[in-house]
Amino acid sequence: MRIGSFAAESTKKALWAASIVIAVLFIVAPLYLLFKYAISDSASINTGGAPIPLWPFHPTFRSFTYLFSDSQFYGVIFNSLIIASCTVGMSMLLGVPAAYVLGRFRVPGRRALLLGLISVRLFPDIASVIPITEFLIKLRLQNTYTGVIFAHTLLALPYVIFIGMSAFESIPGDLEQQARVMGAGGFSIFFRVLFPLALPGLAAAAIYTFLLSWDEFIFAYFILGLGKISTLTLFLKQKLAYAPPQNLLAAISVLLSLPVIVFSLLLQKYMTAGITAGSVK
Amino acid sequence: MAEVLLKAISKRLGSNQVIDSLSLDIKNGEFVTLLGPSGCGKTTLLRMIAGLEAIDKGDLVVGGRRYNDIPSQHRKLAMVFQSYALFPHMTVAQNIRFGLTINKTPAETISRKLAWALDLLRLAGLDDRMPRHLSGGQRQRVALARALVLDPEVLLLDEPLSNLDAALRETAMEELKRIHHQVGTTILYVTHNQVEAMTMSERIAILNAGRLEQFDTPRVVYDAPATRFAASFIGSPAMNFLDGTIEVREEDAGVDTALGFIKLDKDRFGRAQQMTGRKVTVGIRPQNIAYAEHHESKRYSDTTLRVSVELVETLGDRSLVVSRGENGAVLRFLITRDIEIEPQEMIEVFLDGRRVHLFDPQTNSNVFVS
Repeated sequence: MRIGSFAAESTKKALWAASIVIAVLFIVAPLYLLFKYAISDSASINTGGAPIPLWPFHPTFRSFTYLFSDSQFYGVIFNSLIIASCTVGMSMLLGVPAAYVLGRFRVPGRRALLLGLISVRLFPDIASVIPITEFLIKLRLQNTYTGVIFAHTLLALPYVIFIGMSAFESIPGDLEQQARVMGAGGFSIFFRVLFPLALPGLAAAAIYTFLLSWDEFIFAYFILGLGKISTLTLFLKQKLAYAPPQNLLAAISVLLSLPVIVFSLLLQKYMTAGITAGSVK
Repeated sequence: MAEVLLKAISKRLGSNQVIDSLSLDIKNGEFVTLLGPSGCGKTTLLRMIAGLEAIDKGDLVVGGRRYNDIPSQHRKLAMVFQSYALFPHMTVAQNIRFGLTINKTPAETISRKLAWALDLLRLAGLDDRMPRHLSGGQRQRVALARALVLDPEVLLLDEPLSNLDAALRETAMEELKRIHHQVGTTILYVTHNQVEAMTMSERIAILNAGRLEQFDTPRVVYDAPATRFAASFIGSPAMNFLDGTIEVREEDAGVDTALGFIKLDKDRFGRAQQMTGRKVTVGIRPQNIAYAEHHESKRYSDTTLRVSVELVETLGDRSLVVSRGENGAVLRFLITRDIEIEPQEMIEVFLDGRRVHLFDPQTNSNVFVS
């Protein structure tokens, strides 16, 4: 009986382990392929029927050097950076005060407000892109930085408000009251106590916003089309249309993912940092 | 430093009367404890004084100024929260400097006061530590230092020792007393711990359900509890209570109870005689009951009772005996631990007549204290 249950237990464990390995493979394998293609020489791609090798015959960064020799590509990266940065700025400017108020005060109709915010994101992008583009065209903001930044800010705001709100909410009320008793007014309390303590959460929101804008395609495509201003995602789409070698596409994708990977690692550190530990026993 | 006057202060939260027309006058430089069980309103009262809760009715006057409508940040007082509420993103020194920086104190004064506070609270060398790297006792001292550098008119302490372990709490109590002695600030100290209240305070305000039960020195509160609540809340183990009727028998005035006739001392004979026939609740502390066989001599006012031992609990240096009279009334008393008493044993005990307290069963107030 005991041996039987022990056997059942180890079978269960083995199944768990197997499912985890499979899940990880599913996630990692495409990333590996992407990276592999990005550094492949053309012989490792066009094998003429022979099986494609697991590791390129002659790993090379030629695709990258090719991309960086293209002056258009610099412009594209610059555009993506400008749009993402401005989106972060706008979202934080609008989102942080809202998050502060929603997180620290009793706001009448708070639930309805939050529901409204979240519902914006319940619509698929493809459904909301038409009215928003339509609206931006009316404002003569199509084919402008402002237009895309506006749209991306719209997409990011609910996240900024939600993440920021919980960052402000998690600060113990004692700290605020302590500061008040010590003579601090509203501004001092915000800038000296609440904001620094909410910073990790706000930084996470900012990074998230940056990434959202950085690899956003649908809105950028509708608002900018394939016009003068191009972003990395649009550039990828544009290149795809000319059926370029896979290694070039893979190289663009790698460059596109790079900030995602870097920031995700940073984000993880922030997420797990229990900065409020030690304030309140 | 300032005196604190509470005049008929009331506070209602929903349908709950948290503070009910409470008045206190706290002298300049006095160490006063607000003592009571959880939910008695003591912390709310402290928060009202701090300006963190509005005062519904009554006046709060600190140092001659009516404080009711002065916002918290403009009141000249400091508070230590139960949680200590140290700013987790600031070092010890930054925490201590915080209030001074906010008040735009000259840098020179700030560094002088910082050094003074670090020294006073034995925090030297910890200036650059973050709160999360401090022990509980150190956090408590930083919180205190942060409050003291502000030279508050009144220092409000909300159960500052409740997060410390027993040994640390004792040293912290001594330290707090020393600091009060050195600094001389008026201190209002909230606790549910009677030992802290008895040890440190000059006067204790006992609160129950938003009302003031008694406000007096630790000695008076212990020796002459004004109400049955004050009697039961102060002292450990808890006081014995027995219902009875005041009677005069031969030379003695006393109370006829389920355990027998309990005599009062001669000093109270006259007043007790006038109350003959009155229903009362007798209160007597376990400390004021002696095991007859080991008591040197019985005093003239002592009552002898026969009880059977039910249970003996070891408390360390002493033991608590739970005994019952013939008709089941319970009496608890203390014996030194070298005395051997077995359950079921019939024994005699003496009750100290001077330490018998009488309470009105309706109003719960002490019939001899007015």
